[in-house]
Amino acid sequence: MSNLTAFQRKLVYVGGILLLLVPIVLLGSPPDANQEPSRKRPGETEVRVKAGSGGLLSRLRQQHELGEVSLGDVDPTSSTMNLLLLGFRGMATSRLWMDAQDQQKRKEWAELDSTIKSIVLLQPHFLKVWHFQGWNLAYNVSAEWDAVADRYYWVKHGVKFYMEGKDRNEKFPDLYWYTGDTLGKKIGRSDEWKQFREFFRNEPDKEQFPNGFDPEVNPDKKDNYLAARDWFLKANDAADQYNNRQRIMAEPLFRFYPARAKIDYALALQREGNFGEESRAAWEEAFDEWANKYGREEFDCPIGRVYMEVTEEEAQQFQAADQDKPEENLKTLHWVSRYQDMCNYRYWRTRCKIEGESDMAAAHRALFEAEELYRSADFDTAISTYVDGMKKYEAMLEKYPDLKDDDNTIEEVMIAQLFWRDALRIVEGAEPSDEEDFPLKDMWIKHQNRKPMLLEEFQRRQRTGGRTI
Amino acid sequence: MQLSFDPRPFDLLGGLKVWGVVCLVVVALAWGIAGLLMFLQSGAPGLARLIDLTTGLIRDFLQTSPRRVWALAVHTFREAARKRALWVFAVFAVLFLFAGWFMPELKQSPDMAIRNYVSFVLRTITWLTIPVVGLLACWGLPEDIRLRSLHTVVTKPVRRQEIVLGRIVGFLGIGLLVLLIVGSVGYVWIVRQVPENFGQVTARVPIYGELRFLTREGKSEDEQGMEASGVNVGDEAIFRQFVEGNTQARAIWRFEGVDMNRLQNGQLILESTFQSFRTHKGKVDQELLGQFTLVNPKNGVRVPLQTFFNREFRRNSYNVTERNSRGEGGKLELKDEQGRTVDLAKDVLDGGQLDVEVACLSPGQFMGMARPDLFIRLPDRAFLTAYGKGLFSIFLMLTMIVVLGVMSGCFLKGPVATMLTGFIFLVGRLSHDFLQQLTSDKLLDNPKLQMRGRGLLESLYRLPTHLGPQIEVEDNTTQRVIKAIDNIELNALWGVKYLFPDFTQFDATAFVANSFDVPWDAALLPNLATTIGFCVPWIIVGYFALKCRELEAK
Repeated sequence: MSNLTAFQRKLVYVGGILLLLVPIVLLGSPPDANQEPSRKRPGETEVRVKAGSGGLLSRLRQQHELGEVSLGDVDPTSSTMNLLLLGFRGMATSRLWMDAQDQQKRKEWAELDSTIKSIVLLQPHFLKVWHFQGWNLAYNVSAEWDAVADRYYWVKHGVKFYMEGKDRNEKFPDLYWYTGDTLGKKIGRSDEWKQFREFFRNEPDKEQFPNGFDPEVNPDKKDNYLAARDWFLKANDAADQYNNRQRIMAEPLFRFYPARAKIDYALALQREGNFGEESRAAWEEAFDEWANKYGREEFDCPIGRVYMEVTEEEAQQFQAADQDKPEENLKTLHWVSRYQDMCNYRYWRTRCKIEGESDMAAAHRALFEAEELYRSADFDTAISTYVDGMKKYEAMLEKYPDLKDDDNTIEEVMIAQLFWRDALRIVEGAEPSDEEDFPLKDMWIKHQNRKPMLLEEFQRRQRTGGRTI
Repeated sequence: MQLSFDPRPFDLLGGLKVWGVVCLVVVALAWGIAGLLMFLQSGAPGLARLIDLTTGLIRDFLQTSPRRVWALAVHTFREAARKRALWVFAVFAVLFLFAGWFMPELKQSPDMAIRNYVSFVLRTITWLTIPVVGLLACWGLPEDIRLRSLHTVVTKPVRRQEIVLGRIVGFLGIGLLVLLIVGSVGYVWIVRQVPENFGQVTARVPIYGELRFLTREGKSEDEQGMEASGVNVGDEAIFRQFVEGNTQARAIWRFEGVDMNRLQNGQLILESTFQSFRTHKGKVDQELLGQFTLVNPKNGVRVPLQTFFNREFRRNSYNVTERNSRGEGGKLELKDEQGRTVDLAKDVLDGGQLDVEVACLSPGQFMGMARPDLFIRLPDRAFLTAYGKGLFSIFLMLTMIVVLGVMSGCFLKGPVATMLTGFIFLVGRLSHDFLQQLTSDKLLDNPKLQMRGRGLLESLYRLPTHLGPQIEVEDNTTQRVIKAIDNIELNALWGVKYLFPDFTQFDATAFVANSFDVPWDAALLPNLATTIGFCVPWIIVGYFALKCRELEAK
């Protein structure tokens, strides 16, 4: 039994509290904050933690990047929700996921969107959640809508969702890449690519976007592939800056996306019938990006670091150095070749080079125009334009024989032959036999086994006029 | 699971019949068991006591004094206010201050944004007020008994049912006050959130029809001689049936009571929310094409209207007058299938019945429809009307919670009364569909599928013999006996289902958030009937419990 009076006991408690307060303050005092220029919104400031400030725990947290702020922006709502739920976050999240699935099943899109927002409030740093639901919005929900403008809205909604996820997790490259991938692939390659690409530069919702573009997804009013390229570059930068590896694909494949976006841009121009200087310049830039930037990037391999754009001189040096190495997988050129195969490096290099030449652009243009003439029933002009285009094509294939085995080239040549032959049947009542001489004869004979499949594409184009290069 | 939004008029007579049967069975069982127990305990005097109690009930209720009930209600109200029940306003204010953080910004269409705002307000009001009044009601009487303050009341000339009713009215007063204040704040909040779209926040008044289909050959029966239905395109949630494009397949709605005087400025407006399903890309940049044909079933006049494009997941409003006006001055010019000019009022709407046939004109594509997907839009009412009715529905639900809580408090202690009330509420709110499914032989997800083998014994037979719910068992004596026994237990289960009120029906959010008026016959009447139907027996149970219990037994 204590001999102290109640008052004395209280004094002892207060003393104890004050004593404990000293180490708590020393260890746990929060860091100082600085007003710094915003990295995301130019012209604005934002509060950032002052490096090395605060108590021991705070300094350790900063040093080892253990605080939530080290992952990206901290959303006060998200933190509040997680605190309020005490230990029930898991249960609440599971319930919300079930609700989201149910709402999707019932096609209640507004409710689904609301539920998804709640899910990411509870799981703001779970990258797979952002990936899954971003994809869900951009691909699955958008496909449920019938009007193209509505579908485009949901594709953008998915992209914005990825962007929001990126803000919360800015040190991880994954969500930057998904943003770029959706901007490029979904807008540029879906069934509605013509409309989507147009909408990206010229918004259908004029009331909301009187300037014609959505500043959130396309602030610089670029082509969708070039906007995607910016995001792929950011993904690569985030990986370099924070030393965080992405978990989507092999590193050499992941790093080629900025260059690949340039190639896609050039391909899209051709698909839209643009074979002029703009298209040629796009290919030239794509070649530069592919060979001189991506090609010189170094990647880890078991024998050190290698790059894919190897000059003749360097190849000879490597060969000389590799001579004494007994096993194939210890040689530098072996790994260069393996990485080149992985990325189809040589094909895309040749393709960029050849497409950047004005003769190739002229060949494509002639075939494109001939098809248009065929569809407008001007068969005589179509025949002569086809012959002209095929001759130019043949000349380019002689110069770059590697392209003769390329699927896209084979398809383009065979389809051109099918249109040309059909035009000849209409005008002259017969098509040339294989004994006669005609341009691109070798390829036509060599790839007869592909004819049945390509006939379907030919008939589809006859009906709709769509091109899917 | 509620698949979508399908308001159906409430069958009051049918409801009364079910209510009467269930009440009769429960009263008979309760009276029988009580009589038996009292007889076993005290012999014939026990039975006399039961009869006395029963007649006392009638006598007491006939002599109820509204003045005393009111005095007790005022006392209850003051007591609740002293318990800081009104602190709920602070929580409500905080929620509204930060609501914007949790609300997604959907700019695609104003009605989607409005739906989110209205849903948020009504749900917040529901989930904030229910715990407050529920806890007050459950703890009120047990606390009075514990603190012996009820002893001072019962010594006064006050009847037990007056105590029960006084408590109920007092707690309802608190509930009403909270509801009115938070409801007003909620209304102002909605108006402030959507000022530029506020014109679209309205209360549409629909006339719904009954839907039937024609097959792709234009027949009203399919090859099996069954009533024709639309095509199932593989949606997981089977709610809509689809009509094939460029065939004779049709969806036909029959509307009753269509009168020119009821229409908006004499204009016939058809609103639809059909779904589109494509089997091929078709024209990507063009929505599916559809056509309405107005048919007067009495005189056979058929008027094909101008075609329309179906904008999926949006409200498609088709003003027959505007879309079919030709010539100078935009005069409505309707022609029947023979090309004769017809008059909307005299020829088409004559007799008050109207059939609207819907065809999909896009070849190879499908248009999906369910009963509520097409309606005739009458003049709108003010949003405030629908919002007020939504609040009234919440008030009816509060009434049930209060009555249930007070009734539980009459014979249970506070925590147990709260658990009982919470349990009945949660079963009624979350598991009503499950109960419905248990006692129905139709699958809620797919009403066309029959669910066999629901009974205990038949299930025990089906499990080891690997017979699925779609397969009929052989017809023999054993199976007939099994079915007879199962019927008893299934009927008992049917009765049990009605002991739990369907609390989901009080949620008028679906109407108000979708800019519909809350209809009397499909929402308010069933809510009112349910409230009265459950509250009356609960009050009687509370009265009995309070009358029979020993107040000193805490």
